[in-house]
Parts: sequence; structure tokens; C-alpha cells
Amino acid sequence: MTGFILIKMSLLHSHAPLVLVFLLSFVVGLLMVVVFRYTSDQKAIRIAKDHLKAHLLAVRLFQDQLQVVLNSYWRILGSTGGYLRLAFKPLIYVIVPLTLLIVQLDRYLGFVPIESGQPFLVKARTANADVLDQTSLQLPHEMALTAPPVHVPARSEIIWRVVAEKDGRYDLGIKAGGQSYSKSVIVSQGIERISPVRLRGRWLERIFVSGEAALSANSLIQSVEVNYPARNISFAWLEWGWIWLFFVLSLVSGFLFKSILGIEI
Amino acid sequence: MKLNSEFRGKRPRALLPALILVIALVLLFPLRGEAYAGPGAGFAVLSSFWTLFVAFLYSAYAFMTWPFRHLLRTLRRRKAYGQAQIKRAVIVGFDGMDPELAQRFISEGKLPNLAKLQQQGTFRKLRTTFPAISPVAWSTFMTGVNPGKHNIYDFLARDQSNYLPFLSSAEIRGPKRSLKIGKYTIPLGKPQIKGMRRGTPFWHWLGKAGIFSSVIRVPVTFPPEKFPGVLLSGMSVPDLKGSQGTFCFCTTRRQGEKFREGGVRIPIERHGAVLRTYIPGPDDPLAGNSGRELRVEFEIRPELDGSRARIKVDSERFTLQVGEYSDWIPVKFKAALGFSARGICRFYLKEVSPEVEIYVTPVNIDPGRPDLPISHPVTYSIYLAKLFGPYATLGLAEDTWALNEEVLDDNAFLTQCYANHHDREQMLFDALDKTKQGLCACVFDTTDRIQHMFWRYLEEDHPAARGVPRDQRPDVIPDLYSRMDNLVGRVMEQIDGDTLLLVVSDHGFKSFARCVNLNGWLHQNGYLALKPGKHESGDWFDDVDWSRTRAYTMGLNGLYLNLKGRERQGIVQPGNEAESLKEELRAKLDGLPDPSSGKTGITKLFDCDAMYAGPYVENAPDLIVGYAAGFRASWDSVMGKVTKQIFEDNLKAWSGDHCIDPRLVPGVLFSNRKIAEEKPAIVDVAPTILKLFGVALPGNLDGKPWTVAVEASS
Repeated sequence: MTGFILIKMSLLHSHAPLVLVFLLSFVVGLLMVVVFRYTSDQKAIRIAKDHLKAHLLAVRLFQDQLQVVLNSYWRILGSTGGYLRLAFKPLIYVIVPLTLLIVQLDRYLGFVPIESGQPFLVKARTANADVLDQTSLQLPHEMALTAPPVHVPARSEIIWRVVAEKDGRYDLGIKAGGQSYSKSVIVSQGIERISPVRLRGRWLERIFVSGEAALSANSLIQSVEVNYPARNISFAWLEWGWIWLFFVLSLVSGFLFKSILGIEI
Repeated sequence: MKLNSEFRGKRPRALLPALILVIALVLLFPLRGEAYAGPGAGFAVLSSFWTLFVAFLYSAYAFMTWPFRHLLRTLRRRKAYGQAQIKRAVIVGFDGMDPELAQRFISEGKLPNLAKLQQQGTFRKLRTTFPAISPVAWSTFMTGVNPGKHNIYDFLARDQSNYLPFLSSAEIRGPKRSLKIGKYTIPLGKPQIKGMRRGTPFWHWLGKAGIFSSVIRVPVTFPPEKFPGVLLSGMSVPDLKGSQGTFCFCTTRRQGEKFREGGVRIPIERHGAVLRTYIPGPDDPLAGNSGRELRVEFEIRPELDGSRARIKVDSERFTLQVGEYSDWIPVKFKAALGFSARGICRFYLKEVSPEVEIYVTPVNIDPGRPDLPISHPVTYSIYLAKLFGPYATLGLAEDTWALNEEVLDDNAFLTQCYANHHDREQMLFDALDKTKQGLCACVFDTTDRIQHMFWRYLEEDHPAARGVPRDQRPDVIPDLYSRMDNLVGRVMEQIDGDTLLLVVSDHGFKSFARCVNLNGWLHQNGYLALKPGKHESGDWFDDVDWSRTRAYTMGLNGLYLNLKGRERQGIVQPGNEAESLKEELRAKLDGLPDPSSGKTGITKLFDCDAMYAGPYVENAPDLIVGYAAGFRASWDSVMGKVTKQIFEDNLKAWSGDHCIDPRLVPGVLFSNRKIAEEKPAIVDVAPTILKLFGVALPGNLDGKPWTVAVEASS
């Protein structure tokens, strides 16, 4: 469903990312407060929040009595801990699906595809610096190198500067010590699913930052990375990373729905 | 999706550990987007940080300004505390605790803590006010003056222009201005609340000397006045309708008399399996003076087993067993244009089958979101609601009318009383915790309400308990005193040697077995005239011929002359004629016998000119009627009704009372210190506390400070 929406949105005008983030924030805000409602102890949360407020009021009401103020402050800390503990259970329910959703969305919204005619860097990290001299880049016909490769032996890295002639999905070939690998590159002006890096091993990191299959375990190449520009979304006279905009808007959405649905958060 | 295919490739049993690992890693090492896990977590984190931030600001403010405030306070208090004999005074008020019953139960070993106070400190009878009525006595308690200076003579006062009653302690009116647009009258501003009690409570004098006070539920403290301390108003706080408590009895039964007072009967309509009814609320603020009331509708779904019902009120849903109360339920009475009034009430399921009957308490002002101020500062009621949950705010929160009208039974009434009592105990102990120096005063109404309603079981032959076998009469009042003793014991554990503890009551209690309709007597003896052809009147002197009436009674103890120049249709000349009329009435009514038994019904009439002094004596009755023990003004007479029957049995559950000759119903005074005064009076409490804190006594006080031992008894 999300993929379908994304495809449709990619056909829309340049505000598509903003519209998409708005839509997602609205839906996620609603879904999350509903999940929170049914996975949390609403009564306990209400009581915990009320106790917090009471201790805050006590500081104000009995401000001339230092001992009361100190006790109240201590109780505020205790109540805050209790409140966070109550909020932790629903967090467990939502964190996995939401994290996976955010990871997937980040593939589409976190980076802008390479533009044709604009040079970009391809960086390969090898298992050791000795392999650098045996490493080469195989480009499709629509791409060309704009500068000789740069070797950085201290970090076992080799960097190429490349430019694409026209939009499309390409596979770059990388040869190292007789082994061949590929790395996808998207040249486009819309919203595309982007994998900025291909990794060997590092399973957890791969889940979060890579959208491609792992390099083989005996590969001489540890990672191949394309430096896609980060996407900024203009909203309210500010440039936002999508995740921050999503954070703010889904909070607003959640706040609205919590009030409408009478849910304690 | 590649990621999913990778997961699918693993064996299912590896999935759970992997999932747990992911969660743990995500939480421990969040990367870019996964630091944020949705609005729930976002709110939790934001709220917590916000709370801590606000707490930090408050604390920083308190810490930084504390030396200056402490210095200021020290300078202000130096005079007071420099001569203070105590660090803290704790006053536990038990409305209506009777000294004779207390002594009896002490002798029976039922009250060990009060016995300890008696042995090691003080136990005396505490002389009460004339009349011995709670609002009068507690007003005197707090101001240290006679009623002529604080203007409270009864629950009710009379309007001299039309002989109609009004609440003596507070007056609530709509906003001064309103804007009429089409069919709406839009109020501009807040309701006007005017306190009628005069005089200055002694905690105001303490506050001026820099001494902090926590005052909880002392009667006649509504509207709350500003002073250096915290106060939660008690008796005289209205319900959301503006009355002193109007319960609602929803029933599918069609027959039933209109309630005499204190409640309304509302029909329940059946719509298939669902039953619908409503709670009547305050008048629509947009409807001007039309008297149209707002309503909150609710649904009842009886369950098939006939012992439970599900109830839905607004967004609240709950299930009640027969004989069970709900928690406090918030209700919102909505008017047009976004106007609304919020309150709280409790539901009691009385019957589900064959008929459905639900009692709803009077709609209390919500302490967490008060539409009217019920505390000082206004945040104090909110603080208590946040700390302990919603609680009864109505002045007369224990619904004696519902028991009187047999809407509630004994157990339901007691459950309600002790639930309210429990809330107030929590408030008292919180106040003790917060007030390490200064005054902490709390009044409990439970003692008064339960003795009013259950005295019938204490007597062998009370008319209201006839037919109830001796062995089936519950020990409600002994149990009540025992519970209060237990409370005193817990308070004693919280105080140290620098604290003065006073346990006081405003009056005692006696039986109320016989009703006296004094208006009937005045009519039959030629002092009160009815319109031609009438032999009885309606409520509030309907059909009374004022042009031929010389005296009348209203309220519980007041007897008024129809004085020329004071009452609108007065005919009695002030001066000699008035004096001789008073003498004549006293001569005839002092010692008035009950013809059925020969017992004295009225011991004495007290002349108010001789008892009261102060700027408000003109509002006082002319005579205070001192009924004998066992007698009281009849229910009709209180409401200004003239009946043929002068003496009759009291068959109501309201079977004990104190609105009699005040000499017969003194209150109690217990203390943890020796008090030398042999005949202490309630009017002396205020000057005594002021003196013990070293605060100069204001010149207009009528009470005299007691001589209190410097050291607390061990």
C-alpha cells in the first residue's frame, strides 16, 4: 500500500515529499495513539500524570517551606520515572513496526537521487590497503569518470568522481583481486527507493542504512557507497530533514487524535 | 523486499530472539530515524522533560528566592514566633461530636485515644452558640465573635421584603452584564459570588503575622477568601445547580410522590434493550431567566442476569452491580455556542429487575476543573484532585435527604459517608505533612450526618425505629465514634511535643423524636393569621395574612416579630409593644408541654437583644427557640408552613438533632495539653490559638483565651 502511494506520489509535483510526510504523519499519529491506547494502562498513566502535576503544584503552593519543596521535587523525579515506565510498554509494541517503517521510508525520503550531469562520488572501502591498487570501477555507457580515482591508504578507501548523462537505474561494477561486485545508482528527479551503501556483513547496520543484498563474506570489498545528497523539505520557512518534520507533524497529529479520542498519553 | 526475504529465510524459532535483539539494540544504540518511535513515545519523552523542566524552574525559583522570603518571613514572624508557645496547632473538628456519648464510649473502653487525651490532657464540654447550629457555631469558632458580628444565625435567613428565605452564608448571582443576541442571552463575565459571613477568621490574623495555615472543609468558608495559606471550602459550597444538594432518582416506576426536598424524580424511558434518562443540571446560561435547565443524558443496559447494568454517560462507560456505587464520573452540561458546565457525580444502582432504579448524587463542582472557586488559592482544590483523585466538594455532601426519602438505604448512605470521610482523612494527613509549622485545621462532617440519620438505633423507643427489633439495630454510632477515635490516634502519631492538638465539635447531639410546628401554635394562639377560610398554609407562608400576623418562625430556631419598619408588612411597633410581645410569647412558650406525654417540648425562649451585640444584629431573629431534648422544629415549620397539628412523631431517618436549647448540646474539647478553663466556649478557640502563636488579639473578639499548659502531656 505504502509502495503504491509512493509510486503515485513520485509522479506528482515537486511538493510530493512534503505531502507524503504530511499524510504519513497524520496516519501514523492516529495509529500510534490508538496502539498506545490499547497497549497501555490508561488509568495508571492518568494517575501518574496527575501525581506529577500535584507535586508540581505543591512546589508552588508550599513554596515558603523548603522541606516541602525538596520533598516535592524528589517526588516529581519518582513520578516521572513511574510515568516513563508506564509509557515503556506501549513503546515496545510500536517500536519494531515503526522502526522498520521509518527505515523503509528513509530509503525514499532520506536522500535525493543523483541528477544527470551532476558529478557524484563513489567510495569503496577494501579489506586492506594492499587491495586498492587491484580495484577498478566498471561504468555503464551512460556514465563517465570526471577525474582519476583517489586512493586513501590510511582508510583503505578508493574514491571515484562520476557523472551520469541521463536518468535511469544503473549498476556500477567494481573489480577487486579478481572478484566482481555491483552497486546500484539511481539517476532521477523524482522520489526513488535509494540504497546509499552496499555492505559486507554488519547485519544490523545493513538493516538500517542499506537496501541491497550483502557483499559476500569473503569479499575483498567491505563497502561501496554513493554519496547521494540528503533531502531537505521546505516547510514553514525552514528546511527540514524529513524525519524531523515527521516527528513534529506526527506529534501534532497524535496530540489532536489523543484529545479527540480521549486517550491518555 | 530484500530485508523481508532475509527474515523469511530464518527459522521461526530464531525470530523471537532476533526481534528482542533488534528492540534492545534499537533502544541502546539508536541510529537516524529509529531514535523516534512514534507520538506515544514522543509525548512521553516530551512530557517528562517538560515536567522536569518546569519542576526545575519552580525549584530554582524557590531556591533562589527562598533566602529573601525566609528573611522577610522571619522579620514578619519574629514578633509572633518570638512569643509563641507552640510551633504548630492541629485542630480536628468533628461536627456534632457529643460529650456525653464520648464519655460513655470512653468509659466502655471504645475510645482509647480520646481516653488518652482525657487522662493526659484535657476533656471538657465546649459551650456552643445560640442557636446550636453548625454554620453559626463554626462561624463563631473561626472569628471568635458572637453572631451579631459575623451575621450567621441559621442555614437560612429571611428576606424582610417578602418573608422568603435565602441561604445565609453565600449568595450566587449571574454575571452583572449580558448581551442579548436573538434567542440567546450571552453572559459577559463570571457569576457573582458574595460571602455573607462577616468577621475575620483567625487564620487571617495568623497569616498577617507570617504564620502559614492549611484549612480544610471548615464550614462557611465559601466563597474562599484570600490569605497566606491554603483553604478548601466546606459547608455552604453549592452543587452545580446552585442548590445545597439536589440528588436525582431515575426510575422506570411511574408512581411516586414528589420529594419534599433535596431531590428530583426522573423517568427512565425504555428503547428496546436500552434505557435512557438524564441528569438535570444548572439553568441554561444562554436562556436568560427562562429557567430552562441543561441536561446530561445517559444510557442504561441491564444485563440478563438481573444483577448488573452497563451505564454510558458521554464517553464514560462502566458496569455497576446492584447496590454498588460508581467512581466519580465527570459530566459536562453543554449549552449552545460552546458554553458548558462541568461537574462530577456518582451513580448508585438500586435495582435492575423488574424495574430499573438509579440514584445519582448531586452534581458536585469538579475540584480538578472548578467552575466556581472552592479553594484558596484556586489551585489547591486542583492539587488535591490530582493527588487523591476526584472528591466531593458539595458543602453537605452526605446525602441525608436521599436517606430521608428512602431513595438510599442505611448501607448505601453509610458507604457514601465513609467514602467522603476517607477522602478528607487523606487531605488532613497531607496537610499535616505539608504544614510542619503553623495551623492545620480540618473539619469532618461525618459525625454530624451519621448521628442525624442513625440516632433512631441508639434509643429504645424512637418513633423512626419502631418495628425494628433490638437485635437488628446496627451499632452505627458507636462504630462512628470508634472510627473517629482511630483517626485521632493516627493524628497523635504525626505530631510532636511542640504541637497543640485540639479536637473540637461545634455542638453535641440529642434525640429528635417529636416535631413541633411552632407556626401552627402561633396560628392557633392568635399570633399568626391565615387568609380567610384557610386553616393551614403552604410552604413559605403561602396564605399567611401578614397584615394580621404578629410573629412567625422560619428556619430551625429563629422566631421573628412582624416588626413595623423592618418587615415589609410589619404591624408590631418597635419598642414597648415589641418587648411586651416577646415577654408574652416567652411566658406562654417557656416550658410548653407536649400534650401526648406531658413532657416539656420547649425549655426556654432566648431574647436575642440580650445575647447578640454587633453591627448585624438587625438581621437576627428576635427570639431563639430552645427546644427540649427529644423535640425540634417540625419539617413543615422550618419551611414556613402552618399546620393544624402542633406536636407529631418524627418518623424520618433524620432522627437525631442539635437545634434545641444550646445549653443541652455543648460540643467537645479534647486537647493534648492541660487547659485550665473549666467552662470553655467555642468562641474562645480563635483568641486561644492567636495567643498561643504570640499574635496580638484584635480588639473586637468576644472570646477569651484559655490558659494552656506550656508543655504537652507525655
